[in-house]
Amino acid sequence: MTHKAELNLQAWLDGELSARAAAEVERLVAADPAARDLVAELRWTRQVLRAGEVDRPVPESREFYWSKIERAIRAAEATAPAPRPSAWWRWMRWVVPIGAAAALAMFFTLPSLRVAPSVAEIENHLEDMGSFSFRSESEGMTVIWIASN
Amino acid sequence: MGSSKPKSKTLDLPSAPDEVLVGAAREGDMAAFEELVARHRDKVYARAFSILRKEEDALDLSQEAWVKAWQRLGQFQGDASFLTWMTRITINLSLDRLRRRQRLQAESIEQMDEDFGGVERHLPVVTPNPTEGLERAELRARIDQAMAQLTWAHRTVLILHELEGLEYKEVAKRMGCSTGTIMSRLFYARRRLAALLQDLKAERSHDAQS
Repeated sequence: MTHKAELNLQAWLDGELSARAAAEVERLVAADPAARDLVAELRWTRQVLRAGEVDRPVPESREFYWSKIERAIRAAEATAPAPRPSAWWRWMRWVVPIGAAAALAMFFTLPSLRVAPSVAEIENHLEDMGSFSFRSESEGMTVIWIASN
Repeated sequence: MGSSKPKSKTLDLPSAPDEVLVGAAREGDMAAFEELVARHRDKVYARAFSILRKEEDALDLSQEAWVKAWQRLGQFQGDASFLTWMTRITINLSLDRLRRRQRLQAESIEQMDEDFGGVERHLPVVTPNPTEGLERAELRARIDQAMAQLTWAHRTVLILHELEGLEYKEVAKRMGCSTGTIMSRLFYARRRLAALLQDLKAERSHDAQS
């Protein structure tokens, strides 16, 4: 018998074969005494395992066993990392500076933004903070972008 | 914690079902979690022992499993029992530990034998059943003895398939190998177990006669 045929016998016993493959195995078992013996061995091996396992209680008192678990839980909680910023905030950390840079680029490249007779100013107040302000006297508006890193 | 029984603020712990205890533990009720540990610690420890076969390792790993369970209580969906969920955590941790251990040991030849059948390939078929007529306790003891003699890969595949009832595909996923390898390992594990049980029967008969 080939190894593939042996594995098919086992898969048949374990209910892992399609109906067609199972029918083929059944024909083999009917015709081949060696296949029948192997099936019998695999079958009783499976049955004895299902008889269960030796009872094996924890060799420590309930209190001592639990005390170690509790201590480990507390230790893990004490050293747990700070919660991560929310997805929205992580996203905004990138969007705000990029938006500010885009506004600056538009201001310098699109002349229409600079035709106003009055002065429009863009300032970067504090480089560390990543804050930018746009002020237009003609529009009477001031826009400030702030991004903390 | 001292020797006194834990007290929950809201629950009668001994009579509360597992799912109620899990719900309370999720809310931070440590006493409810302790009750779950007390209820299932033997089973969890036994499963760790069945794979690792060392008392100290099994104790350490079962406690690690409980800590992981506390941290992941939010992921418990309740579609299987709490004990099944705990057992899966224990098995996964045990397999991780064994894999780390295997990486430290050069055992490629042994591994190939496990997958493709070493001596098992040439074993004669065992008939009749050498465990027939045994008392349940004796049967369990012999199986335990035989399991201890298997390699970790053969033992684990038997535990996952026969005792945990996982299908080939699921066993393969957990053991990180192909379904074909699992089928082969399972086949040789069963054949080896049959031979070991026969040897044990022969040893006992010999002991009884002398």
